[in-house]
Amino acid sequence: MKRWIGPVLSFPVTAWLLLAFAAPMGVVVLLSLHEYPSPFGPVIQSPSLVQFVKILTDPFYLSVIAETVLLGLAVTAISALLGYPLAYWLARMPSKWRALSFAVILIPLLTNVVVRSLGIMLLLSPQGLINTFTGWFGIPPIETMLFNHGAVTVALAQVFMPFMVLALYDNLQNTSPRIHEAAESLGASPGMRFLTVDFPMSLPGLRSGVIVVFLMATTSYVSATLLGGGKVWTMGMLVLNEAISNLNATMASALSLVMTTVGLGFIALATLWLNRFMRWRQGVPSSPWTIPAWVAVLVDRVGPPLRYLLLFCAIGLLILPLVLVMIQSFNDVPLATAAGFKGFTLEWYRRVLIEGDYTRNFLVSVKLALVAVSIAVLLAMPAAFALARYPFRMRPLLLTFWMLPLSLPGVAIAVGMLKLLQVYLIIPPFAGLVSIHVVVILPFIITLLTTSAMTLDRSLEEAAASLGANKIRCFLLITLPGMAPGIFAAALVGFLMSFGEVTVTSFLTTARLTTLPVRIYSEATFALEPTAHAISALLIVVTTVALALLGKFVRLDRLYSR
Amino acid sequence: MALNRRQFTGLMAAGLAAPASIIRPAYAQPKPGDELVVGIWGGAQEKIVKKHIEPKLVEKYGCKVSYVLGGTGERRARAYAERGRPSFDVLYLNIYESRQAVADGVTQPASPAVPNYEYLYPLARKGGYGVAFNPCTIVYDKTAASAPITSWKDMWNPEWKGRIAWPNGLGAEGISALMMTAKAWGYSIEEFDKVVEKVKELKPFAGIQGSQAQLFDMLDQNVADLSVEFASFTRMYAESRNPNCAIATPVEGQAVTMNVACITEGTRNQKLAEEWVNLHLSPETMLAYANEIYYSPTVNNVEIPPELEGKVITAGNVDSLVDFDWDYINAHRAEWQAKYDREIAG
Repeated sequence: MKRWIGPVLSFPVTAWLLLAFAAPMGVVVLLSLHEYPSPFGPVIQSPSLVQFVKILTDPFYLSVIAETVLLGLAVTAISALLGYPLAYWLARMPSKWRALSFAVILIPLLTNVVVRSLGIMLLLSPQGLINTFTGWFGIPPIETMLFNHGAVTVALAQVFMPFMVLALYDNLQNTSPRIHEAAESLGASPGMRFLTVDFPMSLPGLRSGVIVVFLMATTSYVSATLLGGGKVWTMGMLVLNEAISNLNATMASALSLVMTTVGLGFIALATLWLNRFMRWRQGVPSSPWTIPAWVAVLVDRVGPPLRYLLLFCAIGLLILPLVLVMIQSFNDVPLATAAGFKGFTLEWYRRVLIEGDYTRNFLVSVKLALVAVSIAVLLAMPAAFALARYPFRMRPLLLTFWMLPLSLPGVAIAVGMLKLLQVYLIIPPFAGLVSIHVVVILPFIITLLTTSAMTLDRSLEEAAASLGANKIRCFLLITLPGMAPGIFAAALVGFLMSFGEVTVTSFLTTARLTTLPVRIYSEATFALEPTAHAISALLIVVTTVALALLGKFVRLDRLYSR
Repeated sequence: MALNRRQFTGLMAAGLAAPASIIRPAYAQPKPGDELVVGIWGGAQEKIVKKHIEPKLVEKYGCKVSYVLGGTGERRARAYAERGRPSFDVLYLNIYESRQAVADGVTQPASPAVPNYEYLYPLARKGGYGVAFNPCTIVYDKTAASAPITSWKDMWNPEWKGRIAWPNGLGAEGISALMMTAKAWGYSIEEFDKVVEKVKELKPFAGIQGSQAQLFDMLDQNVADLSVEFASFTRMYAESRNPNCAIATPVEGQAVTMNVACITEGTRNQKLAEEWVNLHLSPETMLAYANEIYYSPTVNNVEIPPELEGKVITAGNVDSLVDFDWDYINAHRAEWQAKYDREIAG
């Protein structure tokens, strides 16, 4: 194999990240080494580790780190548990319904994180949906479901589970029906087949999902702030506090780097641990898992009802808060958070559709997301193939660098960008926002495309080559269509992430470039009207219709399942 | 001739400002097509300025007004990063941030170059141009109270144990709660440790409220019964959503907080910015704020209609608002925040 292919394919994405991410990241590192915070001081000062010593010797910071990690682990575990049956359900969905059923995970991603958190609130509150429902059976309302770790965990799982599902979906869908037939012909029961075939083969997806969900959950702060009621502390909140309230960019940078280190540590551990079960991927001979007979019997008995129960919970968690958001969009109340239905009104829709309150912001967001996602997919495609097919010496190091934007809290990138603002102003604001959005979504696109490239059936390409197709023809007719579900998933996730990004954008926004989420977030800090719910409801309807149409015209499944 | 205190302060301020106006550089007159960039909170405030200030400015100068919407934090962080070559011309900040921003050379102090400056209460001339008083006080569920709250000390009444949503951090509400604790119990500002110990007696808290919206949810959901919040928004909340919510007028006073319009240092649209602020200080805008969100005027030439009496701060009771030594607070902010995080919220 030609050794230069891997590095050449890796070059575009590396170059982009060096230009758009390494600079703010470098500033963050330099700031973290300051002895004292000085908002107007030079960036380069004689280095000191005093901030890190402070963090690592202060029981308060240590307890917040532990709290954040535990929260991240809980969210990851719930996302995996609920995400598995959902991904399995999506993968087995007849292809004409598949695009539409994707609405279940895509609509939550499209809804602003503030609005979704408010939806969770309407679900868990003492007069909320759950208590109303249990009340019908005479169960007294539980008043302690809100403003605690449980509420934050549920909200974060709702926000991040779609990423887990997307990571698992491609793997599960990719398991060829021939393998299932083989397993069945050898006498495996459905439970046994799941344990010995489907589950092991979905492990690469699980690994990506676990990493992505953990990193996103541990660096987030919006849901923890809204639903934690001050009782839940995360590192993201501390970073924000230091950077914004205290103007202490030095401590904020040091905290972010500690968080990044924790994140990288988790990636290493998760990869090492899960790789132990995937020896076959490295071509090492490995025997199939030995499953005790009673486990297989148990899985056969309990599996199907449990699967449907978890599926029901997963869909409920994703959709119910949004149903409440839609109901709230017709509610005649002055503020978005007001509980209880006071009366029907179309006022919020009038504001959105006729007065065009949000039109400009919406268009800015769409334009930004489209440009960012196109660039990101073009950059990530070669990188994904470099990772999947052309190993080279620097690969692990590069991969770590590519994943760094994911483990660095968004607010830290913003702190770095703010310091660079004097330089940044020379660049047109739109180009600047695009470049940083590409940075934020690249880790996801690379992860999803790599998983997709790894699971491509290479025998199909070999067959094409043996029938005389040259490399380009083979790529266009076999590889690219084979990657279609992966590209579709990656582009969608990228689009939705860029569309919803608020942390970094709110620092870099200008008068003419205010995105929709920044607008909603800005109103939430003052007094959010149900107009935000109305625009979310409109987006939900438009997305569902678009997906239904997409399913009619575009084939998004694998070649061999046609 | 005997001078009362206000006239004396006015004369002093005018005297101090006189040399400044003599040495003021000549600013270019605004021309059509100029763009004024205003950083302000989204929502009701954005709507009010768009309705009452922008049209007049645009009509007079043919200029364009653009808004950067967002929370105070992001706005301030950006203004600090751009010190000397700002992308904002006018920036709205809270009382403590505005004074710090003037001290840090990010924004300009108030000056008589804005004609309505002469009507500003002295309190509203610090750190820029105060555009709205918005005092903080105790707000509570009156059905949970054995007697109406008349003092900040009433928070220590055992009936509130476990039912208080203490305000988060050292924002306007947080500082008000801490400083009014100090005032009520006779601690000086230097005795912050004693204040923290006193507040710790109130624990466990029902929650820590991070915003008014969150507090109102906590009250709606019966998670908490008492907190410290802006009187203005709470009054709107009480009238529209929760008639049981009461707003206390403690004997020690209500804590002053204020929205401040700040003109950035180095703005290229000095004249336009001054004209914008002047329009904001006009009686018409002040009344719009008072009518729509119960923000109290910061100028003394506004006639408050009878239906707003008792709902906003009027000329007679501006002096009853309790102001704090913000320079001292800002100098100790990081240290206090660390203590707050560990001892009160932790």
